Amino acid sequence: MSHVDEGTLHAYLDGELPSAERAALEAHLADCATCRASLAEERALLERASALLGSARPVERPAPPFEQLQRTPKPSQWRVRHAFAWAASIALALGLGYYLRNPRLAPGPAATPATVDQPVVVAADRAATERVSTHEEKRAAPARPRQPAADSLMPAPADERARAAQQRRADSAPRAEASGLGASAQPAPAGSVAPAPAAAIQARDSLALARQPLRLEEVVVTGRAAANAVASAPAPRDRSALTAWPIISRGIARSLLGADPVGLPGLATRRIRRSPGTDGMVVVEQAVDSSTVIQIFQRPASTNALSDSSGRGYYNSVQRERADRLARFVKGLRVEITGPLSADSLNRLLEQVAPLP
Amino acid sequence: MPEDIAEVYRNTYPALVRFLYRKVWDAERAEDLAQEAFARALIHRPENTRGWLFVVAANMARDEARRAAREKRHLTLLKSEPDAVHSSPEEDIDAETRTLRVRAALDELTPRDREALLLWDAGMSYDEIAAQTGLARGAIGTTLARARRRLVEAYDAGLEGGQHVARG
Repeated sequence: MSHVDEGTLHAYLDGELPSAERAALEAHLADCATCRASLAEERALLERASALLGSARPVERPAPPFEQLQRTPKPSQWRVRHAFAWAASIALALGLGYYLRNPRLAPGPAATPATVDQPVVVAADRAATERVSTHEEKRAAPARPRQPAADSLMPAPADERARAAQQRRADSAPRAEASGLGASAQPAPAGSVAPAPAAAIQARDSLALARQPLRLEEVVVTGRAAANAVASAPAPRDRSALTAWPIISRGIARSLLGADPVGLPGLATRRIRRSPGTDGMVVVEQAVDSSTVIQIFQRPASTNALSDSSGRGYYNSVQRERADRLARFVKGLRVEITGPLSADSLNRLLEQVAPLP
Repeated sequence: MPEDIAEVYRNTYPALVRFLYRKVWDAERAEDLAQEAFARALIHRPENTRGWLFVVAANMARDEARRAAREKRHLTLLKSEPDAVHSSPEEDIDAETRTLRVRAALDELTPRDREALLLWDAGMSYDEIAAQTGLARGAIGTTLARARRRLVEAYDAGLEGGQHVARG
């Protein structure tokens, strides 16, 4: 076998290489230091790309109730909001122009580089406009004089828009901190367990938004766990072999388990999968936040999950990688939990597992 | 039999919002578009709801980008001032700045590479990505490898050049 190309390595790292090819690749890797080095390089690249993408994500807000969608399937709604936002952004641009043209109103050095002659586009898009508006917001008090200009043009929208932007900014604050932490903590040394309050806050926030808030006060997310969570963003390891597990609906999960699938009420359920074997194992994948997914393996307490070989491959690989996987019985189900969190956090989460509403 | 859309909604909504966000770069619009995609799914009742949703979402995001480009031209006509925000020093990198840099870096990818990367990040398998993009399944690994490399390289180049946020 000649050296392995990067596409194959990425497919391997993504857990998407067909099993025959995978075996051949692993055999080759055992003998070939060059390819092992390439693999390490590609893994670093993959994780870096995931982390970058992970840092560019929206503030995750809970999905509105499904029933609401059913009642209002109207495309007009967002168009109206969109047009309105555009109007508001023009008002803002004009207001800003007015503000920058009056140097005596400029409160600080931040506004001084405003060289008026250069013809440059400011409000090129809404994202840029919003950035401006939120930066304006920071020096809100002295910036007041610009308000009349905006108001006279577009009174309510500009105001509301600014408020919304401010609100969003407030929403995103803890998350921003957390991702900052992730980026700086990327090469975290193995033993470091510096507490990461930002990450804890982030986790708590996303939970607080959910319908049935989970008591997470006791859950300590360690710095290392948080770094893992961001660095390995959609956790390729977790989804590796798992892609062979078909995604199933809740109804099917219920019939396989003979009971409602269990999970953490209050966390969004990403998907439910079943074991490719006949062991009746079901895994519920839930998001603690957009880049941290925990997996809750469950099966009827009466069956022996390890009797089937096809399920065992993944099961064992998880066992190998996660000595900290924990188990518990919940309503006739044997439940295990795994995820990129500390054993302590997982244990506490496991205690709160209950039939999903 | 069509899947239970409520079920798909619960499982897929966050990923769809994230996917759309990285196309329209506005969290609120991403949510609106995601909700509209689901509302359409309720009417159309497609066989493979998840795949269908991402196709529809990608189309909506494209229309959205065209509209945004038109509006940008309008705004340009309105004349404006240089943006002091863009001159923020390197130490001040906050989440917003990083998002802008990632956005600029994503813009450097070919549409197909970008699509594959975003679909993978939205939780799709190679098979699903192949079905969605029309790429051969065997080419997905290579596509993702290239996409990831370009993303990282473009991001780092943006850091060096300092031109990162001027796009858009």
